[in-house]
Amino acid sequence: MTAVQSRPRRQGMRATLLVLPAIIPVAIVVIGGIGTTVVQSLGLMPLVGTPALSVDAFESTDNLLGSALLSLGIAVVSTTIAAVVGFFTAVLIISGNWGGRIVGALSAAAVTVPHLVGAASVGLLLSDSGVLARILGIPPESWPALVAGPTWFAVIAEYAWKESAFVALIIVGTLATRITSYDETAAVLGASRGARLRLVLFPLAAPSLLVASAIAFAYTLGSYEVAWLLGKTYPEPLSVMALRLFNSASLTARPEAAAVAVITLLLTAAIVGVAMLGLRRMRAWQ
Amino acid sequence: MTTHAQTTDVETSAITLTGITKSYSAASPAALREVNLDILPGTSTAIVGPSGSGKSTILRIIAGLEDANGGQVRLSGRDVTALLPEQRGISMVFQRPLLFPHLTVLDNVAFADRAAGLSRGQARERAREHLELVQMGAFASRSPHSLSGGQQQRIAVARALAAQPSVLLLDEPFSALDPGLKDEMHAMIASIREAVNPTILFVTHDRDEASAMAERVVVLENGQLLQHDTVDNVFHRPASLAVARLLGGKNAFAGEVRNGVHHSAIGAVAISSTVESGPATLVFRQEAVSASARVPDNRTDASPPVTRDSDATACQSRGPRELYGVVTSAIQRGPRRELLVRVGDAEIRTEAAPGNLLAAGDSVTVSLPCEALWTVLS
Repeated sequence: MTAVQSRPRRQGMRATLLVLPAIIPVAIVVIGGIGTTVVQSLGLMPLVGTPALSVDAFESTDNLLGSALLSLGIAVVSTTIAAVVGFFTAVLIISGNWGGRIVGALSAAAVTVPHLVGAASVGLLLSDSGVLARILGIPPESWPALVAGPTWFAVIAEYAWKESAFVALIIVGTLATRITSYDETAAVLGASRGARLRLVLFPLAAPSLLVASAIAFAYTLGSYEVAWLLGKTYPEPLSVMALRLFNSASLTARPEAAAVAVITLLLTAAIVGVAMLGLRRMRAWQ
Repeated sequence: MTTHAQTTDVETSAITLTGITKSYSAASPAALREVNLDILPGTSTAIVGPSGSGKSTILRIIAGLEDANGGQVRLSGRDVTALLPEQRGISMVFQRPLLFPHLTVLDNVAFADRAAGLSRGQARERAREHLELVQMGAFASRSPHSLSGGQQQRIAVARALAAQPSVLLLDEPFSALDPGLKDEMHAMIASIREAVNPTILFVTHDRDEASAMAERVVVLENGQLLQHDTVDNVFHRPASLAVARLLGGKNAFAGEVRNGVHHSAIGAVAISSTVESGPATLVFRQEAVSASARVPDNRTDASPPVTRDSDATACQSRGPRELYGVVTSAIQRGPRRELLVRVGDAEIRTEAAPGNLLAAGDSVTVSLPCEALWTVLS
């Protein structure tokens, strides 16, 4: 092999070595954690008893399908609202006027609030004896069951609020430096505001909107604290179920907790995989 | 000195700017000061000037991308000052092609029709015609990022033309291209003008590009319009010394005109009897005068000759005025050889004829053709 041919290979190896310190911890945590969970869910790492390969943990978990559908429902609705609100919030921020600047500051502030604090705030705001009911003068018995009610309103509202701010900032971050030029170009080609939104702004924002939505979806599906604080006790979302089983006094419940986590993982991976496939098909991403 | 004002009917002008002023902030100097301008339909006009002179600001105000602090913009007689860019019926091509990355080449060109509400099929059909106009028909299905800079700029021009604008504004569209590609673009613009004859107003800092693409040139400095005239006039009949300098003129000799003869450090040079007597600066372009090694036997020094003839036709009847001097420096710039020739106490910049390898120390004759001489008020 000539020196010229071997140079790219050497550069490639050097690049690999340079990123290894970042890759190794991530690989240990993600692959190791997932591997342990999968092994536990298949009965190969019981806390007590003899390891034996089985899918009992998946079959014996009560209402796994119902919880999965509930989790998907909460994640889909809250992510959809977050995507729509986040996109238009980003449009407002990008417009650069004083209103946009205020909304941008509020969005940045919302992102820094932990979900646990957000959930507590939403609970205080929307419960039957909460701030909103008091401000509106509606007695608790007449106030709809927004918190821990059948619609999971408070849970969805909290996720939608927090994630819409996240989606907006992701879109603003990717478009802020170039959208003005494209918007001006479209305007001098005769495109109205509506046409620019439809034909330029939305298609250009679509890749970052999709990525941000996929991240928000994965987070919503996997996090438990908001649903745990603001949701009903039954049926329970997958994440709440996994936590309950993991903390259960029964040591045999540990494989069931792992099975719920694996189901959550598979759902998340499927949705994120579809999102990535969609991303690759977008011309604006290429 | 002659007057260079252009008188046109406001109603027939493609673009009319009246008293346009623009300041970006109270602290900064005005970007434009009382600019008045008429552009005739079907013409191509270049705006030239140094960086920060307000060239692009004029285009952006015409396009509606910037609001003027004062004045009026009329397009084909219609007051558009308060209209949004999309309501003005103009198109603009920027320095960067800014092709929409999410659209194919064809859909980029079809954009204006799609935005106007045409179906995708109709818009694409019309777009193909404009792609052919810029010889890019074979690239219709390509993505913008797969094209070279020159190809992208062709598509940007086609996209702008597809909007069927009353005025096409070009903001230094070819400045990032190499010289060969620039020539191709100039040829493309010429063929577009033959085919659809749009009114073109473009900004450039390239004097050669201005003369290659335009019939008329607007010269701006510090937000003030210094001259709006034909290409030949702004180069050879500048309205002021500033215009001469901005357009690359390097020879300027302050002096006085008496009876059609300009007297300065290079001696007495007959010009025209129509020029009023008084203080004036003689200007001529370095490309318009030539230097040769031919030196008459009776003149080997560098002192200027004296011209006593003040007849109005003296310049034309006598042929080129010849001055004698010594080359003090010679610099090769591509195919051209620039010379600095000392004539008396003055120095004249000129160019050697091709193949004439004059060097520092050589005695030369500098010929000043009548048509190259011009005076501006001192």
